[in-house]
Amino acid sequence: MSLIDARGLRKHYRGMRAGDVCALDGFDLTLEPGRILGLIGPNGSGKTTALKAFLGLTHLDGGDMRVLGLDPRRQRKALMTRTGYIADVGTLPRWMRVHQLLDYVAGVHPGFRRERAQAALSHTDVRPDSRIQGLSRGMTVQLHLALVLAVQADLLVLDEPTLGLDILYRQQFYDRLLSEFDGERQGILITTHEVREIEHLLTDVVFIHHGRAVLQAPMDDLAARFLRLGVGPGEAAAARALGPISERHSLNGIEMVFDGRARSELEPLGPVATPTLPELFVALLGENR
Amino acid sequence: MTDWKDNEPIYLQLRQRVIDQIISGGLAEGALIPSIRQVAAQHRINPLTVSRAYQLLSDEGLLDKQRGQGMSVAAGARARARQTERQRFLSVEWPEIARRIRSLNIDARALIATLDDGGAPNEPH
Repeated sequence: MSLIDARGLRKHYRGMRAGDVCALDGFDLTLEPGRILGLIGPNGSGKTTALKAFLGLTHLDGGDMRVLGLDPRRQRKALMTRTGYIADVGTLPRWMRVHQLLDYVAGVHPGFRRERAQAALSHTDVRPDSRIQGLSRGMTVQLHLALVLAVQADLLVLDEPTLGLDILYRQQFYDRLLSEFDGERQGILITTHEVREIEHLLTDVVFIHHGRAVLQAPMDDLAARFLRLGVGPGEAAAARALGPISERHSLNGIEMVFDGRARSELEPLGPVATPTLPELFVALLGENR
Repeated sequence: MTDWKDNEPIYLQLRQRVIDQIISGGLAEGALIPSIRQVAAQHRINPLTVSRAYQLLSDEGLLDKQRGQGMSVAAGARARARQTERQRFLSVEWPEIARRIRSLNIDARALIATLDDGGAPNEPH
């Protein structure tokens, strides 16, 4: 069974001046167990609305959706016992001490394994008697992550999880996330603007633009399908005849991205490589933003 | 994070790192190699990518699966890895080097001669 199966999601916000804003416009997404999916898109593309929809946090105007086999709006409580969520806006009760927060979560969440959270925190500077308002941003994220990963969750939803973290905390975050990841059962859905930071982590990617999934594919398929060619002025015309989807001039000469051309067709013209996700995003969507 | 070359899949680059370690002796025969989770977390790459590299190395007879405790460098792996690398050098690296030698107009014989005394070749005149 898919962890997330969403078809044709629609969501409009009533605009203040410019009329209705279409946040999701027939959006599709599928997440299978064992996969780590990156949802990539610019600000205002509908990313956050999509995540909220999967968690049952927003009303939709249309579409079909199952998350862990459940209807997120109607069965939100059941869904939450098997889902972990980290948001950049995630807040914890500032007046509590850490051990009080652990007591609280243990009391309200049936799947919470307190000893796992404590073991995770023992590797950090977060002390059981620390007051939450006294923690730094990085320590707060570590506490949040320790809580979320201590829940036996089949689905992890991470919305800009490393926003505002320094390079050390970022590394620790991904260290923890990957060493706890259960590749048999769990799936992770992650959004971030730091695409380069996660692109090798992903098994799948969805590009979202104006509320639509303009590309959903396993990373392996992208590598097989899209190639970047660097050409000198002499080969540019021959390369253009093969129909690149984008072309840009850089210090490396002219770089073109191709969709569905064989490596052997391009290699005689210059060095061939796999485009990065940001390059691919710009190549596919750069012109019609 | 690690910098990877963008012209070769990461699992092949990982495989190459292990092979380099086996040849240099950094990984001795019989030594346990880091677990898939460790490598994935350290390099921030997908665990499937690591397991694909390990699977390939195991198919090539360079790694053995240890029941319940991960993988280790196989007996005879060093000699086998050297053999694989010689092949790769001759079929992949050498043609590239030869092309570069020709394009820079370097005296190939003088270059070869420096291999014996370990110094740098003189500039061609």
